Amino acid sequence: MKTFKGGFHVPDNKALTADKAIEQMPSVTDYYVSLSQHIGKPAELAVQVGDTVKEGQLLAKASSFVSANIHSPVCGEIIGVEKRRNAQGSMADYVHIKANGKQDVELMPKLTDATREQIVERVALAGIVGMGGAGFPTAVKLQPKDPVDTLIINAAECEPYLNCDNRLMIERTQEFIQGVRLIAKAINVTNIYIGIEANKMEAYDALVKLDGIIGEKDEKHDGDIVVVLLKKKYPQGAEKTLIKACVNRDVPVGGLPAAVGCIVNNVATAYATYDAVVNGVPLYKRLMTVSGKGVRNPKNIELRIGTPLSAVVDFCGGLSDDTVKLVSGGPMMGFSLAGLDVCTTKTDSGFLALTDKEASTVLPTPCINCGKCASVCPMRLMPMYIDFYATVGDYDKAVSIGGAMNCFECGTCAYVCPAKRPIVQSVRLTKTKMKEKK
Amino acid sequence: MSNYVYSSSPHVKSPNTTRRIMIDVCIALLPACIAGCVLLGLAEARLGWLSFMVLALACLSAVAAEFIFLLCCKKKFAEIIKQFDFSSLVTGLLVGMNMYATSKWYAVILASVFAIIIVKMLFGGTGKNIVNPAIAGRIFAFIAFGAAFGGAMGFEKKVFGIKAGFVQTGATPLQAFFNADKTNTLSNLDLLIGTGVPGCIGEICKIALIAGGIYLVVRGVLNFRWPLVYILTTGVVAVLIVWIESCMKDGKFIAALMGTKFVPALKSFLPSILSGGLILGAIFMATDYVTTPNTKLGNYIYFVLLGILTAVLRRAVKGEAVSFAILLMNLLVPLFDLYIRRKPFGYVKPAKTKKVKEAKNNG
Repeated sequence: MKTFKGGFHVPDNKALTADKAIEQMPSVTDYYVSLSQHIGKPAELAVQVGDTVKEGQLLAKASSFVSANIHSPVCGEIIGVEKRRNAQGSMADYVHIKANGKQDVELMPKLTDATREQIVERVALAGIVGMGGAGFPTAVKLQPKDPVDTLIINAAECEPYLNCDNRLMIERTQEFIQGVRLIAKAINVTNIYIGIEANKMEAYDALVKLDGIIGEKDEKHDGDIVVVLLKKKYPQGAEKTLIKACVNRDVPVGGLPAAVGCIVNNVATAYATYDAVVNGVPLYKRLMTVSGKGVRNPKNIELRIGTPLSAVVDFCGGLSDDTVKLVSGGPMMGFSLAGLDVCTTKTDSGFLALTDKEASTVLPTPCINCGKCASVCPMRLMPMYIDFYATVGDYDKAVSIGGAMNCFECGTCAYVCPAKRPIVQSVRLTKTKMKEKK
Repeated sequence: MSNYVYSSSPHVKSPNTTRRIMIDVCIALLPACIAGCVLLGLAEARLGWLSFMVLALACLSAVAAEFIFLLCCKKKFAEIIKQFDFSSLVTGLLVGMNMYATSKWYAVILASVFAIIIVKMLFGGTGKNIVNPAIAGRIFAFIAFGAAFGGAMGFEKKVFGIKAGFVQTGATPLQAFFNADKTNTLSNLDLLIGTGVPGCIGEICKIALIAGGIYLVVRGVLNFRWPLVYILTTGVVAVLIVWIESCMKDGKFIAALMGTKFVPALKSFLPSILSGGLILGAIFMATDYVTTPNTKLGNYIYFVLLGILTAVLRRAVKGEAVSFAILLMNLLVPLFDLYIRRKPFGYVKPAKTKKVKEAKNNG
């Protein structure tokens, strides 16, 4: 079984929703669709306040090369554009749409046997972004500047609790694989790998049953897609560690996967590509895991993007009284929420309500220099120095000795720390301070 | 304001805490403490009680010293209790284990207080000390008190069929070993179990120390590599020293090297690693998180150098030198961390930027 150096086995708690089939979240009346659900510039509004929009109609246009289109999740009336707090805690523009109960849908024409250019164009039109959490516009990724020879599909889903990629691979296996082949066609590569963590054997079995898929165990040698079984270890699904495990290439410090000829895409992104190309459906729905012991009925749901979290929670039976923390995304890299007034975006793979038994609320104690943080760091940095120098305000040393700028904030160091040092916070502080300097 | 906890990721954390690590170390030390008291008590009941008193006194004074220091820093008592991480208990226990049953009470108390106040708290408390407090406490008592520090006792009397014995301040097996003392009749098995072995309370029973070390490895507190590297290096260097010395005796050094002196020299391997405080020091004191380098490479070099230093110092003073070796190496740890850095994942050697720099200077 393949893996990378470092990392740590974090209890995955996936059993809460691993066997729960995807449920459709019923429509609500009010949707708030963010204009910046991706890395890059916010999209420009393409409709007027007071307009009636159809489901799937373009709401906002990509404003530059690195930006993405946004479509209406529902048939309804545009009430207005308002500032609301996003999951990351900052203010952003949201389009308020009131559903009118009609089922008018506006889709793009279906494409059969699409060419490379058509696929890339369609991905851009459909507003597809990296749905693992980063939100990088996929169309940009599909036009790399460096030559690439390998496509890796990130099916590791190493974040604890989350199961949406897992369920998608189990229930929509055919569609997912078609999406993978479409992406491979768009970037013109023949080496295709799907990296899947060993705790998703049901999805693995479903995949290798299909034609053209080479598994790890069986004798089948003909096929165009290799499924790589990865050791269950966090952060197996980070781009650089995934590339290391699948094809044993080291992405250089500060470089993109394309620097070593790889492109990595998420399972949900591949599925969205299939939906956009084959069915002509733009990206206005996504799968999401609603889990944690604070949720009465943990579920995997398919929801319209822009649904308020309060409605999602109601659909899942509400929160229990001992909930102490709300998290958008996974527990390791997700964002802590102050309340339920946040609306879902394209990049939300999960919503968690954690009880005091699950979420750590222990206050930090002095570092005892045990070195556990350094031993688990997948980037081979020195997290203890980052924390130390950031705490005393010497950010230059946090960068030069600790290596803060190379950190992708996976949080493994802070997870294992016996002194509960807020190492990731120190990294973010250092990065912000360095940005301010420039 | 929100009713929910709001913080930076990650939102889940391992159940491991500093307190849990320190409690684990206390648990791992207990077998050796008990074995030390029992074995000494078998020799003479008085010694068993005395050792127990020494251990208890060392622990109490260490914890009390920490509390008093923090109270003087105007911390509230309830807060101190809440933040108590058991590290001072570990220090106290280790100081006690490094004393003798015959050590005077004031030597024990002052060693503990010195370890906590001077070595740990004045440098900033848990995690900020530059040398291991217990080692410093032991050396302080050794230098400051001399006779009051106590001495090793030899045994010969048989109790319950186990070789244990009479009380006499005398040479430790290590000193006997270096001085080719004929009266030294301890076998390697004796050294391992501690029957009839004179020495500090905690270092008598090696097998109990090893059991404690295994517990720590299983609990993930200790990396088994470092004590192993240290102990093996010490043993190998000790063998080399004995071999070279036995060769030098004849005057025909090169001829002797080719000869058969090596095999007899090998016999000194086990006694040198099983005698004295090497195992106690290697498992519980040299591996202190705070006073070891942060990188893997740094740790390998550190423990190999520590092993060489221990073996050479032991030969030079013809006695125990583990604590001095550790103290000296502790002081070098910042240098290890300064000069031995690991390269980040995907490290690319920076292209030579000399020209760019020159251009900048000119511009």
